[in-house]
Amino acid sequence: MNDELEPTVRIRQLKRDKVNFVLENVDLAFANSLRRVMMADLPTVAIDMVEVEMNTTVLPDEFIAHRLGMIPLVSANCDEAMRYTRDCTCISSCAYCSIILMLNVTCHEAITMDITSNHLEVMPMTDFDEGGEELTKRGQDFGHPVGKNQPNVPPILICKIRKGQELRVKCIAKKGIAKEHAKWSPCSAVAFEYDPYNKFRHTSYWFEVDEKAEWPVGENGREEDPPRDDEEFDFNAKPRKFYFDVETDGSLGPQEVVMKGLSELQKKLANLILGLKSQPEVDMLTGGDQTGMDTSVAPATGGGWGDNIGGGGGSGGWGGSSSPRPGAGGWGNSPGTGGSAWGGGAAGWGSPQQQSNGWNV
Amino acid sequence: MSSQTTPKVQIMKGATPNLSAATYQIHDESHTMGNALRWMLLKNPHVEFCGYSVPHPSEPNIQVRIQMYDEHSSLEALLKALGDLDDLCVAVGEKYNESLKAGEFERWVEKS
Repeated sequence: MNDELEPTVRIRQLKRDKVNFVLENVDLAFANSLRRVMMADLPTVAIDMVEVEMNTTVLPDEFIAHRLGMIPLVSANCDEAMRYTRDCTCISSCAYCSIILMLNVTCHEAITMDITSNHLEVMPMTDFDEGGEELTKRGQDFGHPVGKNQPNVPPILICKIRKGQELRVKCIAKKGIAKEHAKWSPCSAVAFEYDPYNKFRHTSYWFEVDEKAEWPVGENGREEDPPRDDEEFDFNAKPRKFYFDVETDGSLGPQEVVMKGLSELQKKLANLILGLKSQPEVDMLTGGDQTGMDTSVAPATGGGWGDNIGGGGGSGGWGGSSSPRPGAGGWGNSPGTGGSAWGGGAAGWGSPQQQSNGWNV
Repeated sequence: MSSQTTPKVQIMKGATPNLSAATYQIHDESHTMGNALRWMLLKNPHVEFCGYSVPHPSEPNIQVRIQMYDEHSSLEALLKALGDLDDLCVAVGEKYNESLKAGEFERWVEKS
């Protein structure tokens, strides 16, 4: 089958802020992983903390803080050029893990004035005491609002003020990923399509009178053969051709998003392999997840486990007490095994002999 | 004990001693890894069953259940699947760059 074909990529269009390509001969699962990673796992810089020194505008502080957070900042090479604050040696922020932008605007004339992203000024860095290579990897306008002072890029409106009103804030921009907050997503949109003719019937269209007239096939339909009227439904067919259109907000280029997306996926895999292969750690854990969390509560034996499940708590050693979830392995084991059976199983696991056997890779 | 750092992978209770059937809990991963990994594992002919779940949407964990035929090791299968996925990433990256170099696409160079 075409399962054996090697994957191909065909770029159809490349613009400054978007790339359109067709990915073929991969699984839906992989294509979707790539999409998810590009949208949610790539680090960028965005304003994260705002100190309001003066705000006499009509918008409340938090409103302005939120608007500031959404402004895309140039984040090229962000994964190497900046640290997460949580990984940094500093206490709250420093030149290696933050960028400071000032906004200081007052209206002195009898007009309605726009405060825009062009008013945001990046402050030169001061407090870098120890050596770090991050700073050398930054581009010239790293951390600046995207398109600042470029004539063909309209600035982003933050607030409108009248005569006598003033806005003076200090913004601290930090590195982050969109899993934490969508403002850190480098993508404004990722179009993802397969099977434009719905041959696989993965969806069903709602329509009033005529399904075909009300759901015109998009551009991607040209890449595939329209279904014949007498075509039989192939229930074994699997999607193999995926149409991507990655559009960025300018914080990262589309090229960078795709390439960093792939390497981020690889990083995740490498992390997992590392986690699996670092044997001593895992050895400790298999036993550890009995002892580690339960030490204070129950004796670290299988018996403790049997009690847990029987009592219906059952979220296991790892979950903590917060979630009322059924027994951790419940869905994997044969149905109908009661708490007692679980106690037995757990006891089996408590034996160190089996652990060491199990981990001979 | 190392209680501050959550381990990346844990084996849940109920695994067979030879790990031919086991549930792996993976910390800090989501559908992004889970679904792709499941697909890769199911390509392995020795895998009898593979499924993943996100036990709770507000906990950053996934659980991958693997059951093998003929007492094969699920850990080996998992490592193989991870390696294969990695190769796939490399392959796609290469193809992307090839297509980029070939340059047979619409280019828009906006003046800025």
